[in-house]
Amino acid sequence: MTAQLAGLAPCTHCGFCLQSCPTFLVTGDEADGPRGRIELMREFTAGRIPADANGLRYHLDRCLGCRACETACPSGVEYGSALEEVRATLNADSLPITSRIVNYVMQDGGMQRVTFAGARVARAVARHLAGPSSLGFAWGMLDATHATTNKHAAHTTASVQEPRVRVALFTGCIMSGLFSHVHEATARVLRANGVQLMAVPGQRCCGALHAHSGQHADAVTLARANVAAFAQIPEDVYVVANSAGCGALLKEYPRLLSGDPVEEDAMALAERTCDVSEILVELGPTVGGPIPLRMAYDPPCHLQHAQRVTDPPLRILESIPELELVPHADAHLCCGSAGSYSLVEPELSRSILDRKVSTLAAANVDVITTGNPGCIMQIGAGLRAVGDDTPVVHPVELLDRSYAAAGYYGSQRSSTP
Amino acid sequence: MPLSPQVRAALVRIVSDRWVRAASAQLETFARDALPTARSIPGIVVLPGTRDEVIRIIRLLAHHEVPFVARGAGTGLSGGALANNDAVLIALTRLNRILEVDPQNRLAVVEPGVVNARLSEAVAEFGLLYAPDPSSQTACTLGGNVAENAGGPHCLKYGVTSNHVLELEVVLPDGSVVTLGSRSGEPWGPDLVGLFVGSEGMFGIATRITVRLLPTPPSIRTLLADFDDLTTAGRAVSAIIASGIVPAALEMMDQVCIEVVEASIYAAGYPIDAAAVLLVELDGATDDQVAAEGAAIEVLLMRHGARSVRAASDAAERARLWQGRKKAFGALGRMSPDLVVQDAVVPRSALPEVLDSIRAIASHHGLRVGNVFHAGDGNLHPNIGFDRENPDEFERVEQASAAIMQVCIAAGGTITGEHGVGVDKRRYMTDVFDADTLDGMARLRQAFDVAGIANPGKVIPTHACREWTQGAGRHV
Ligand SMILES: Cc1cc2nc3c(=O)[nH]c(=O)nc-3n(C[C@H](O)[C@H](O)[C@H](O)COP(=O)(O)OP(=O)(O)OC[C@H]3O[C@@H](n4cnc5c(N)ncnc54)[C@H](O)[C@@H]3O)c2cc1C
Ligand code: SF4
Ligand code: SF4
Repeated sequence: MTAQLAGLAPCTHCGFCLQSCPTFLVTGDEADGPRGRIELMREFTAGRIPADANGLRYHLDRCLGCRACETACPSGVEYGSALEEVRATLNADSLPITSRIVNYVMQDGGMQRVTFAGARVARAVARHLAGPSSLGFAWGMLDATHATTNKHAAHTTASVQEPRVRVALFTGCIMSGLFSHVHEATARVLRANGVQLMAVPGQRCCGALHAHSGQHADAVTLARANVAAFAQIPEDVYVVANSAGCGALLKEYPRLLSGDPVEEDAMALAERTCDVSEILVELGPTVGGPIPLRMAYDPPCHLQHAQRVTDPPLRILESIPELELVPHADAHLCCGSAGSYSLVEPELSRSILDRKVSTLAAANVDVITTGNPGCIMQIGAGLRAVGDDTPVVHPVELLDRSYAAAGYYGSQRSSTP
Repeated sequence: MPLSPQVRAALVRIVSDRWVRAASAQLETFARDALPTARSIPGIVVLPGTRDEVIRIIRLLAHHEVPFVARGAGTGLSGGALANNDAVLIALTRLNRILEVDPQNRLAVVEPGVVNARLSEAVAEFGLLYAPDPSSQTACTLGGNVAENAGGPHCLKYGVTSNHVLELEVVLPDGSVVTLGSRSGEPWGPDLVGLFVGSEGMFGIATRITVRLLPTPPSIRTLLADFDDLTTAGRAVSAIIASGIVPAALEMMDQVCIEVVEASIYAAGYPIDAAAVLLVELDGATDDQVAAEGAAIEVLLMRHGARSVRAASDAAERARLWQGRKKAFGALGRMSPDLVVQDAVVPRSALPEVLDSIRAIASHHGLRVGNVFHAGDGNLHPNIGFDRENPDEFERVEQASAAIMQVCIAAGGTITGEHGVGVDKRRYMTDVFDADTLDGMARLRQAFDVAGIANPGKVIPTHACREWTQGAGRHV
């Protein structure tokens, strides 16, 4: 048995994970819950149920991979890595067509550029086409990638005198394709905290979509490329991810690349990878100007469950004067985005999202924030589908706005206020 | 006899295709509850969404004399929710609405699939709580609690499920719908609610449950005492009980449990070098009263060999101490791939000796055992680790379990405190009940279920009451 599958062995069938599983909460079906899926994986790998058993693929495919079950589990069951392994065995050559297209686009640099360029053009009209139908929902997702905060692009190239730390931003695929405004905000905010940014050429998509859907070989190819790219820069440079999904996988590269010739480099990369909120908390962060808004923070699964980073985003949001953090029910639950899940399992994904949207609507806030592109798009589209135009932004965008309000990006060239 | 296509089609007509599970892999996931030593693939699974659907299902099955088994969250530890391939498993997880909260009269009406902890969460805003708090409360359903008469740490002072259920709507196995009890308790005659609570799914399906709510105690104090050996801790329990003070809860955990909890995300700050810890909670109307009782207990614990005693300084620390206790069974999964938890009650005075015997039995069979239990009730839960892929070890577990049961019975105890008989404890029933008593039970069951279709094969050992088996015809 592989190390990944051994991670399921501690399951005692206690059921403590059930109420934290978004799919179980929708259907109440054991086969849509972690305990049932673990049972399926255990029995499948023990050879007691065949790969083509009726219902096996169906229920494993319906798992979001959100890993909320891991956080709830007292036995320390390692669900996520086992799922990837089983999916790799089951799905290798029979992945749903939508997943295959998405994964292909993310993997191929040329395709990626063309697709995102087209998407950016289409984005101009997305607002008018967003709605509750499945097509309208897709437009809503695209519309949610619009920059809603102020732009201060002028200073993104300014260099920092006497930097406190040096950082390389992990650029990713969708983040650079559709969320360049978040990258720009991240750069400005980091500089304002005395961080020197280094450009790292040769980066590619992190491979998370591929790994989660069982396209192991593609994930490994992408991981190797990134490991090689970051191996070029000095050891004391932190690698910062502002997408929870990418950060989670970078931190798990050693597992993905275990036994690979570049395993050691993968470990080095994982060691120095952190979420943007983690490094900001480490640095202080610098306090900006007031943002008198009511705000809800919805933690991305790949931050809270996969990386177990829960406090840092709250700390940086709390540091913003007059920004009121309004709690909402079931914040620990996934929004149903989960990589390409919303495209592959639209019905279940929408039921999960409906729950999220209604708890967020009940909180009655001016702005919603979450640190993952998929979640921004999913929640944004869900709100638009019910005619709610509350903006959904990345936490660093709020910090960025707060710094702008404080005048840190004013006329003077020094970025350290 | 496998289910007929006719019955299958009729089930689909009632709940629609979407809520029927018949594929092989799907059935596999319903083959177990939290008892690791038994599994059984049900004939089909249905997930009704309303009480009316439940009623129509039972009427259909009664008409065709098809056996059925109710299932809540499947956290049962005696195999109660397992169904054979000739039976329909009725999963009640979708019936999860809280229908009414009446803060004035301190009661709530719920559907059976409501998760225990969700009810307390929902009534917290009124300063109320639902007292029975099984350690599984974040997962198990109130329907399952009713069927098993579930207990929990705080039942030492507040009583078990049966003390908190006022009224039940039940679909009897023949499809008729009856109301037992009333909102103001049992108005007259025999305690029919009491009869149904703890009936382990044999008397029909509870579709609506009215429970009593209690005000949250204004003052609470939680103490953690640690000990150098288990026997001393057992004596300290007896001393507390003898003192006349009734703690809200009195729980014990041994070193194995302490270790695994501290290694989990529910780490509570238990001293990992202790052989045992006791968690004692006191509650009451005023801080003064609770402080006085707390001080008295502290002295008592120290005098009876505690290494140290400390009180939780705030609500957060108290919650942490309790989380550790409540997730201990789950955390024991770290000890071995599979885990069977035994459930027996012994007189509290016998605790130290019984704990010694359990340790001896485990080491004789070369097994590892972790004890976490409701010490105040003398309700033991030895957890034995094993690996289901190792048949020899599995056999030793079964032998050790049986030996532990015999020790508990010999000490004047009985075979279950709260997890029920289900399939697991059937074999011990004849050790504690004589033939006439078992026969009486069988006849009572028959009064509720003439056709013998509600959770057949559970609780009552059929070989012990031949008369009934022949009468009802159907059995495993
Ligand atoms: C980690 C852990 C800790 C536990 N701690 C405790 C504890 O402290 N105290 C305690 O008492 N138990 C405890 N248990 C055992 C278990 O949680 C309880 O027995 C619980 O009441 C079962 O509820 P369930 O919803 O999971 O029921 P299930 O396991 O699904 O079913 C249990 C039985 O109830 C019947 N049933 C279910 N719903 C209905 C209904 N609506 N009408 C009629 N019959 C029905 C089923 O047929 C079955 O026989 C623990 C279990 C675990 C895994
Ligand atoms: S995964 Fe963990 S929480 Fe879920 S049933 Fe298994 S042991 Fe319990
Ligand atoms: S990863 Fe998420 S969706 Fe999948 S079983 Fe775990 S909690 Fe459920």
